[in-house]
Amino acid sequence: MTASVVPLSPVGGDRLDDLPSHLAVLARADWPGTDQDPLPGLPGFILSSFSPLAAELAERCLRQHFGSPPADPRRAEQTAIVLASMTGDVATAVAVAQAVDQGRSVPPLLFYQSNPNAVAGYVAARWGLAGPVVCTIPASRGLTDALDVATLLIEDGDATAALVILADQRREDGDTGAALLVGPASWLPAAEHAARSG
Amino acid sequence: MAEVTAAGQDRQDGAQVAVTGVSATSAFGRGAQPLLAGALRGQPAFGPVGRFDARARRTQAAAELPGAPLLADELAAVIDTACDAAGLDRQQRAQAVFLLALHTDAAAARDAAADVVTDDIPRRVATRCGLPDPPRVYWTACVAASTAIADAAAMIVSGRADRAVVAAGYLVDDDSFALFDGGRVLARDGRVRPFSAGRQGMLLGDGVAAVVLESAGAARRRDAPVSAWLAGWGRAGDAYHVIQPSPEGSGLARAIAAALRRGGVDPADIGYVNANGPGTSFADSSEAAALHRALGSHAATVPVSSTKALHGHALEASALLEFVLTVISLRAGILPVNAGFLAPDPDCELDLVLGAAREARYRYALSLNAAFGGASTALLVAAA
Repeated sequence: MTASVVPLSPVGGDRLDDLPSHLAVLARADWPGTDQDPLPGLPGFILSSFSPLAAELAERCLRQHFGSPPADPRRAEQTAIVLASMTGDVATAVAVAQAVDQGRSVPPLLFYQSNPNAVAGYVAARWGLAGPVVCTIPASRGLTDALDVATLLIEDGDATAALVILADQRREDGDTGAALLVGPASWLPAAEHAARSG
Repeated sequence: MAEVTAAGQDRQDGAQVAVTGVSATSAFGRGAQPLLAGALRGQPAFGPVGRFDARARRTQAAAELPGAPLLADELAAVIDTACDAAGLDRQQRAQAVFLLALHTDAAAARDAAADVVTDDIPRRVATRCGLPDPPRVYWTACVAASTAIADAAAMIVSGRADRAVVAAGYLVDDDSFALFDGGRVLARDGRVRPFSAGRQGMLLGDGVAAVVLESAGAARRRDAPVSAWLAGWGRAGDAYHVIQPSPEGSGLARAIAAALRRGGVDPADIGYVNANGPGTSFADSSEAAALHRALGSHAATVPVSSTKALHGHALEASALLEFVLTVISLRAGILPVNAGFLAPDPDCELDLVLGAAREARYRYALSLNAAFGGASTALLVAAA
């Protein structure tokens, strides 16, 4: 698949049309998507859907642009990962608190996954994305703020492109999220880039 | 527009962002001076955990403030101190960008009404300090605060902001202690021994810090005291593993290279490296490799120490605590000691500051940090 016609529709009130003109949304995935597939598990991550959600969003988004992993190393070398969450990994935090309050030891896997960099590192290693890794909890407008972070990284020069993931784990509403690959407009398919430039 | 011109001049000088206020709280006490004094004494601040019952854990040591400090109070205090040191008035505080790095809040995990793992600490602190609400909390583990510093600097040099207050805080708690104990990464001998043979791991420590960063033009116009310059910064990733760092230190080496490039500084100009050095086997050897890769032959002679052996690992706040210590060490003309050293490790061939802190005059220092997922940052500090 190519990145043609990635809709710039709002996500939860986020505006996606504020990107500078030199950047484009190259691919996008949403959760829940149009299919009814359950969220796949992620080996090495337990009890919480947060990391599996982030990994699945990344997988669906990156496959649209890069095909199968790893990504083209010429583009992956300076592709950042910005993992944002309005909630954080609530289920892991609760699992740790319950273990502590009940006097149990905490399983080593919870130690690793309690850190959002872990799933970001999983995505980075799988796809060869060697740009900066940034995890944030936006105060509002989650995807818009994550795009602001990505744009700053790119314009500051530490990244050429960024995989932007928003993964939310709400206690009542369940898991929601989106992932966007943002990069130079010149990475769009030639016809689309020409149309955009023209 | 005058500020853009000033910033352009500063870029030519290799001194881009002014550090006009710093403050920190650690197990050595409240304020930057106790931190510097602790670094000069070179005696680690670790002791038996007093804040909760750690008897069931594999180790019982951490670097804690006495009593039961509250994170929001400690954050507000260091922010006020840093802003006062910078001479910011109420309007200047209100117009600054506020960036904050935090660890997951243990209380939020026990509050069914809390809808975010950092609870409402960011807004409470901002209100108390007369700062705008932070747009986000940096949550990217051990590089959270350094990433916030780099973003603040990027906002300043790009003209998005004149001034930023960057703060970070972590206080040792039962949940994080249990997590790190569960991960078997805490040193069972109660000492952190960065880059040393026989190192057993890391230890946690309280860390709360704040800095004020400004464009050179904004600082000059109000005749602000400049403690140091943030001359360069870099962030990069390893693309190697979920948690382990690249053995070659590839991400950290690229972060260092980016910081030096921004600052227009040659490796040979670096006079001190405040290393990440958590005291774990893989991380320390990876960082040594990164230094050799990025600094070339200078890596064998530049003085290096990890001050985590003194104040402990403050997780999301660690990079800011270490940045503050790097700034005040540069100003004081000292090289903090790499405490806990037992014997050389052939995988960590560095010129470590051993025995005691040393006096030294130098112009540039690097503050390095690395985290799970291969996230790596480098901050280049220049003398004022």
